Amino acid sequence: MRFPALLALVATTTVSFGAEDGAQVYNTLCVACHGPDGKGLNGLPPLVGSDWPKGPAERTIKIVLHGMTGPVEVAGKAYNIVMPPQGAVLSDEKIAAALTYVRKNFAGNAGAVTPELVKSVRAATATRTTPWTAEELLKDHPFPPPKTALRNLVGTMYKGEWKEMPDFSKLKPAQIEDENTGIISPAQASLKDAFAMVWTAQFQAPEDGKYTFAFDCDDYGALYVNGERVAEIKGIGPVGERRKEVSVLLKKGAVPFRLEYVEVSGHEIIQLSYKGPKDKEYKWLSDTKGTVAKSKRAPIPVEAKDGYTASYRNFIGGTTSRAIGFGFANATNLTYSADNCAVELLWTGKFMDGAQHWVDRGQGNAPPAGDGVVKVSDGMVVAGPSAPSGAIISYQVNKDGGKGASFKVVNEPAEFKGYQLDKNGNPTFKIAGEGFSLTDAWTPADMRGSAGLARKIVAAGDKPVTIVLSRGLTVQANAGAFEVGPRLVVRAISGVAPAAAGPDLVLTLKPGESAVLGYSFR
Amino acid sequence: MKKFTLTLLALLALAPFAEAQAKKKGADGKAVPSKKASAGPEAMALQDKYYERVQIPTPPGEVVEVSSIALLPGKKVAIASRRGDVWVCEGAYEADVTKVKWTKFASNLHEPLGMFYKGGSLYLTQRPEHTRLTDTDGDGKADVFDTICAKWGINGDYHEYAFGTDPDKDGNVWVVLCLTGSFHAYSPWRGWCVRITPEGKMIPTTSGIRSPGGIGMNEKSDVFYTDNQGVWNGSSSLKWLRPGSFQGNPTGNKSAQLANFPAPPEPKSGSRVLTERLQFPEFVPPAVVFPHGKVGNSPSGMACDMTKGKWGPWANQMFVGEQTASQVQRVNLEVVNGLYQGAVFHFLQGFEAGLVPVRMDQEDGTLFIGGTNRGWGSRGSQPFTFERVRYKGTVPFEMHNISARSDGFEVTFTHPVDAATAADTASYSMDAFTYIYQSSYGSPEVDQAKPTVKSATVSADGLKVRLVIDGLVRGHVHHLVADGVRNKAGDALWHNEGWYTLNEIPSK
Repeated sequence: MRFPALLALVATTTVSFGAEDGAQVYNTLCVACHGPDGKGLNGLPPLVGSDWPKGPAERTIKIVLHGMTGPVEVAGKAYNIVMPPQGAVLSDEKIAAALTYVRKNFAGNAGAVTPELVKSVRAATATRTTPWTAEELLKDHPFPPPKTALRNLVGTMYKGEWKEMPDFSKLKPAQIEDENTGIISPAQASLKDAFAMVWTAQFQAPEDGKYTFAFDCDDYGALYVNGERVAEIKGIGPVGERRKEVSVLLKKGAVPFRLEYVEVSGHEIIQLSYKGPKDKEYKWLSDTKGTVAKSKRAPIPVEAKDGYTASYRNFIGGTTSRAIGFGFANATNLTYSADNCAVELLWTGKFMDGAQHWVDRGQGNAPPAGDGVVKVSDGMVVAGPSAPSGAIISYQVNKDGGKGASFKVVNEPAEFKGYQLDKNGNPTFKIAGEGFSLTDAWTPADMRGSAGLARKIVAAGDKPVTIVLSRGLTVQANAGAFEVGPRLVVRAISGVAPAAAGPDLVLTLKPGESAVLGYSFR
Repeated sequence: MKKFTLTLLALLALAPFAEAQAKKKGADGKAVPSKKASAGPEAMALQDKYYERVQIPTPPGEVVEVSSIALLPGKKVAIASRRGDVWVCEGAYEADVTKVKWTKFASNLHEPLGMFYKGGSLYLTQRPEHTRLTDTDGDGKADVFDTICAKWGINGDYHEYAFGTDPDKDGNVWVVLCLTGSFHAYSPWRGWCVRITPEGKMIPTTSGIRSPGGIGMNEKSDVFYTDNQGVWNGSSSLKWLRPGSFQGNPTGNKSAQLANFPAPPEPKSGSRVLTERLQFPEFVPPAVVFPHGKVGNSPSGMACDMTKGKWGPWANQMFVGEQTASQVQRVNLEVVNGLYQGAVFHFLQGFEAGLVPVRMDQEDGTLFIGGTNRGWGSRGSQPFTFERVRYKGTVPFEMHNISARSDGFEVTFTHPVDAATAADTASYSMDAFTYIYQSSYGSPEVDQAKPTVKSATVSADGLKVRLVIDGLVRGHVHHLVADGVRNKAGDALWHNEGWYTLNEIPSK
């Protein structure tokens, strides 16, 4: 009869142990995204190596209670997803147990979380109905300042304009500050232009050996280590091409450090990092991180292949949500808004990068990947005979999303009907309205020696229709062509010619008429 | 030290505890319910005996996170990916799937979730619109993309998913529109189900949607969708889209004014589904609740078994995908007092990634599934998968269905049962619960009840057991465990538990 005794032991021990097992809660609810080892599954944010679960537990309790949304950086990587709130599902005890488990196992033994603390945070945030953003959380519960190798860092600011490095011993300081963060930033001057700064500190070398410093700045500066000037950036200029990398031998212990910096005008940037004898990666001493940038998503180029035009239907920055992009073999590109029945963006170079939408959940608009994007119009461009002229709004949306929000449908003059691809994947868009229809074909073409696009618009039905080809850009007639804005040239090739109407370029077609236009880029 | 203690406890607990349980009966003579999950490794080990699961190689070097599956003539299968590519597969039915041939039909559409073949074209529901794709020049690539309907709002949020059905008996496609970010309605008709007529007219059909994972039809062409745990959803569930109904989430109610519809219900938060739906007759409660964490975390696409036995003895039952746990659940439905309700059982597991689309070839009895773990983690070895499952012809011993009676349930089994175990009330146990119906995210299980099995009567053919139960609770999920029941060969059930959502207690 040993079993009953053992069973009793199990029962009492389990109860006294606490009703909630953090590992069990974690492995039921958290594991699907954060992984059994806390390292994150399938591109979802890790807990291991993250600052989020460390430090004051209130921050994490808030996240678990109400969820989290929007852009956030975790362990050096950018995310933009939603963590669903669990406050309505989990008791204070369960949350405390799960967070204790997380902090013990994945956050460097960050300390237990009590149900009482969860209860008090729950009470203090009782009116909260939406997930937190990273910004909100860090405002109330900031990460501790990183400890850098710079001890006793003091920044001294001088006002003035110098063409070359001044003799600071002859200048009168405008401001002196302790920078307890150990981080150097031009922002510590609180000025935008015409100032200089000198930082002094002890650089704490953890061991004897070779230390490599990487230094760059905008505008100019000089780095002194152990009393020697080891690197200098001369003259006015941006960061990037003047970056210096220099190695010095240091003994273990505190080494004198000095950085002189002058900002004339424009950007103010310092990029300073170092690598000790045992470091694999550079450690940052400045707030701006330069050439050793944090990891980004590897691009997934979407491009024309073997002369076949690429397409991309997704959220494209600069146009409406119903966006349809086409990237032509001659490196010209367009985005059509199916909401507004119009080509709204034209650009050259790279077409699209799929990484924003095809990695993780795919939040947000991906901008065109190429150069010189011209936004030719914004809003419905077709005015049928029965519609009022000018912009026509299809929906008015109140974005507050609350009870008072309302949607209004306004007259829609034209409807997108789809598109047809030719043998090379080039699109002909189709739209129709009351008494008219249009086809709008785009193909890559050589326009007087440069890569451009040929566009053919054909009207059918029994009523004339007016199309705004460009809206709100300057239209300049020049030798049979229209210069539209700073980049675009639109040329009438055959059929009905467009006409400038104030800041707009407009084409009116009667049933059966057509227009062939040439688009090129300046 | 703490870790060590836990391990020791686990060791102490396992062997003696299990043995004690098997023999132990409570003071009331009832067996202690088994804690063994019916989706555990034991059920997995038996799966190959009944169903053959085959992973079909996707196009080499391509990322094909399968989001839609359509069946084409000539045993071809089309799949769409979340990146928006449409691929056509030849050889998906063959014994040797390493020889499948893939042809790319279309590229980079906007996350299609629902695709079917009709009259020479592929139709798909993509995020901004319902579209018809046609290859008019016969080169194997779509060249005409007709926009059939684009009348719902989208605002650039990744969560504004649109899931579409096959055409219903009138030719209409039903589309469920996820809320903005799954919390808001920032564009028109978010949180609604709409029907798209073949002419492209949009008919708003139900309000009250939150975050769908899939949509499909049963044998009567009634349309169902899965909605995921979250605001106003205490747990995930399978819901019946009765036209004109409200599905429980009032966030998208404001769109009603766009069509001059009467305002949908504004239910009280912190209540119960039963309480609120009795206030609002248009509120159709979830047909079958999938208790969160017990029956997966994220139900998705679905298919009805109309294979006339080719898929097993499950005529007209629904097979529902599960994204997080990479499973397929089985659902039996019945109508009581005008509302659908029924039971969900664990069924298939071990898929290589979280399921999204589920497509049954009704002629052939082959079930195709597609999976992806992008953005939402899932069990399984792969970031994405395309698989087929076939019935091997051996009927597993299962609860075929659970059906409500005025004083209990009738359970139909797939094998004649052993009369001694099946008539013993100690072979069964039941617990019941519901969820808080609230504007916050999810809910714990609440209002726990312990209905007791008073008697178990076996039918003459041994296929049915009538359970008289004391303490049924209207509106509750009733969890029936039948771990003591054996068939005539002495075998236990493949899956020994089911969860029945008792919206209505029948009068007979």
